[in-house]
Amino acid sequence: MAIRCQFEGSNEIGVFAKLTNAYCLTGIGASANFYSIFEEQLSDTIPVVFTSIAGCRIIGTMVTGNRHGLLVPSTTTDTELQLLRDHLPDKVKVQRIEERLSALGNVVVCNDYVALVHPDIDRETEETIHDVLQVEVFRHTVANNVLVGSYAVLSNQGGIVHPATPTQEQDELSMLLQVPLVAGTVNRGSNALAAGLLVNDWAAFCGMDTTATELNVIESIFKINDAPQSAISTTMRKALIDSMT
Amino acid sequence: MSHYNFKKITIVPSAKDFINIILSKTQRKTPTVIHKQFKISRIRRFYMTKVKYTQQSFHDKLTAIVTEFPKLEDLHPFYADLLNTLYNKDHYKLSLGQINMARHLIDKVASDYVKLLKYGDSLYRCKQLKKSALGRMATIMKKQGPPLKYLEEVRQHISRLPSIDPNTRSLLLCGCPNAGKSSFINLITRADVEVQPYAFTTKSLYVGHTDYEYLRWQVIDTPGVLDRPFDEMNTIELQAITALAHIRAAVIFFLDISETCDIQIEQQMKIFDSIKPLFANKPLLVACNKIDITSLEGLEEKYPEKRELIAALERENIPVMEMSTLSQEGVMEVKKEACDRLLAKRVDAKMRTRKADSILNRVHVAMPAQRDQKIREPFIPEKVNQKKSEAAKPKKKFERDLEEELMDDYSLDLNKNKDLENDEWKYDKIPHIVDGYNVADFIDPDIMKKLEELEAEEEAREKNGFYVVEVEEEDEEMKEIHRLAQKIREKKIINAINARIDRPKGKAVMPRVSRKRERSVSRLRSEFEELGVDMSDVDGCHFTRTKSVSRSRPPLKKARVDSEGRVRSSSKTPRDQSGVRDAKMAKKMKTIGRKAQSQLNRDGRKGEADRHVYNLKPKHLFAGKRGLGSASRR
Repeated sequence: MAIRCQFEGSNEIGVFAKLTNAYCLTGIGASANFYSIFEEQLSDTIPVVFTSIAGCRIIGTMVTGNRHGLLVPSTTTDTELQLLRDHLPDKVKVQRIEERLSALGNVVVCNDYVALVHPDIDRETEETIHDVLQVEVFRHTVANNVLVGSYAVLSNQGGIVHPATPTQEQDELSMLLQVPLVAGTVNRGSNALAAGLLVNDWAAFCGMDTTATELNVIESIFKINDAPQSAISTTMRKALIDSMT
Repeated sequence: MSHYNFKKITIVPSAKDFINIILSKTQRKTPTVIHKQFKISRIRRFYMTKVKYTQQSFHDKLTAIVTEFPKLEDLHPFYADLLNTLYNKDHYKLSLGQINMARHLIDKVASDYVKLLKYGDSLYRCKQLKKSALGRMATIMKKQGPPLKYLEEVRQHISRLPSIDPNTRSLLLCGCPNAGKSSFINLITRADVEVQPYAFTTKSLYVGHTDYEYLRWQVIDTPGVLDRPFDEMNTIELQAITALAHIRAAVIFFLDISETCDIQIEQQMKIFDSIKPLFANKPLLVACNKIDITSLEGLEEKYPEKRELIAALERENIPVMEMSTLSQEGVMEVKKEACDRLLAKRVDAKMRTRKADSILNRVHVAMPAQRDQKIREPFIPEKVNQKKSEAAKPKKKFERDLEEELMDDYSLDLNKNKDLENDEWKYDKIPHIVDGYNVADFIDPDIMKKLEELEAEEEAREKNGFYVVEVEEEDEEMKEIHRLAQKIREKKIINAINARIDRPKGKAVMPRVSRKRERSVSRLRSEFEELGVDMSDVDGCHFTRTKSVSRSRPPLKKARVDSEGRVRSSSKTPRDQSGVRDAKMAKKMKTIGRKAQSQLNRDGRKGEADRHVYNLKPKHLFAGKRGLGSASRR
């Protein structure tokens, strides 16, 4: 079951948190409500960590990572890095990288096996991503947007991309990423997918404005519910077409 | 949400209230004080303001009414027709037209009287003009009593209309009175429509919402329809007809096969036939209700001819379904069937538009083509599946609960959940900077390994005797010197300590300079010579190389020297002596000088600010004869 939530009245929960199969990072808000949503769902299986990056709480935009590692931008302070290191399991490598495009969450999207990156990213960064996150790295765009991290969300089970992605590009991307893909929206038609959606292989969180149909697409493509992924183009097709036009 | 919201129309006051409101507003908002001695232009302006202000207030209020009421031409045909049936289009338009007319008339009256006021030549006349202007405006408004009353009624009724969105997915329930339409809407939505066992319980349209297929569906309950021509129908029935005619919905026609609604099936079929044209292009479903009393099979046994009528429908490809709102049997099936049919139709229509192409990619799931042999398994920890199967555990205390419990005492503990080898380390403080170095710069993943290596190296060195220092053999003489030097050092330290102890505390120490000189080279020399030491050859001796103790500094300034060897200025005779011949003369000069000084000394105490009378006895006050008046008249 995907869960709708908000960070201090904002539906862009993906900006303030980062969810992977091995850990969950949340920004430090005025109250613990946001943190506790994740704590309630995940703390039995993976650590849920209060984090800040360069004193900011927009960690979802600033970091990228998967089960194998976590990449933080060069602006991260030593104390923050130490805190992350102390909280995450030893299997997860934490690495600070010198990259001009410091909002790593916006320029990298990855699951445990593959990553799409911004076409202008440094060669060194690309290598670091390959080594630390143990993924194949592809430079690519999503629906002509270079910010692949903002307009695509990926798990090992499936992925959702910018609503303007043509069918052909979806097929291409799906071949690269080796997961089923669908074009969709969150938060009542918002195309900033990464900002509105947090997923790993067994849980999903989305903004409070997300509609029932959007939620259903998310749940079925990420295999959060029991419906098959093809349900989007079969049983849900009519509802989707009727609600979108 | 529906775009048709009639709830925000402002209240329409009655004609009398209207006039009162405007006139008291004029009284409150315009100046009230005027006098006849004022300039005539000012008096004219005063009354013109009153007339114009009243006109403007009327104008604004009437404009608000005219614009706020919905224009039938701009509405969706469903609403236009509904308003027509409910309020009579002609009457509605006429009322609004009258209000509009009144507005024009008032504007005209005002402009006429403002013109007249320009020629008003006294306060009285201006006032009379104003009075008649306001009077005429009020008369015009008084005549608007009936339209205003009608519009207020319309406003009250229209704001209570259900907000039906004519364009969304809807199910429309129709049929003869008392067929079970309202029971059905109560079952599938949360609308609470009154249900009573008599005909025409539902007198207007009702709306409820239900969910099906991830979508929201609007369900519209209509009043029952009787079998008669449209022009004979009453307002209640016409509402149902309006909804049927204009809303593109799935229609569920309710057929009471038990005939407990006192209308025979034949008559119900007639009703169906008469409104059949309205079902064109709409998914239609006939729901045979009240099967708890009589089912279709039972009907066939009793009245085969009636069953035949229904069978005729089936032959026309109209689905006939059985249900009972009492036992709730078949209700969901009817809803599902109706929804499915409508959805299929809507999707079909939408797919034919151009817009559909743009969203086709969103119902497409791109399945990956195999690109290598690598298996990419999802990673779901065991615990997740365990947790799913487990029954709900007693609730753990979360951060939020902690925050609520502690209230103001709560502070976020970032160290609590650290994942470290030893829990005692959690709260260890690592300084950020030590001795000017950033600690983090020295954190090394291999630090323990490196430490071990270093320790091993150290051990090896120790073993090899790297640190053994060879002690050199010293001869007797050197030993003696060392011993002595040691002794001297010790003694020096002791002396210094003693001196410190002996020094009187709190008293200034007398410097040596002022003491009588106890030692000197000459004394040394004489004493030694006395003792018989040869002091002739002492060049290079320590004591001959003495320097004078006080170092004399070079003068800061050179003394001035002139040709005579002395500076002239230094030889000048003092001024009081220059030119004085002898002592007698000097004495005399001193006396003169002292006397000359005395007046100055006396004045010297006065300042500028002191009172000073220039002329104590001015002549004009003292000269001439005096009468009876006083001399001190100043």
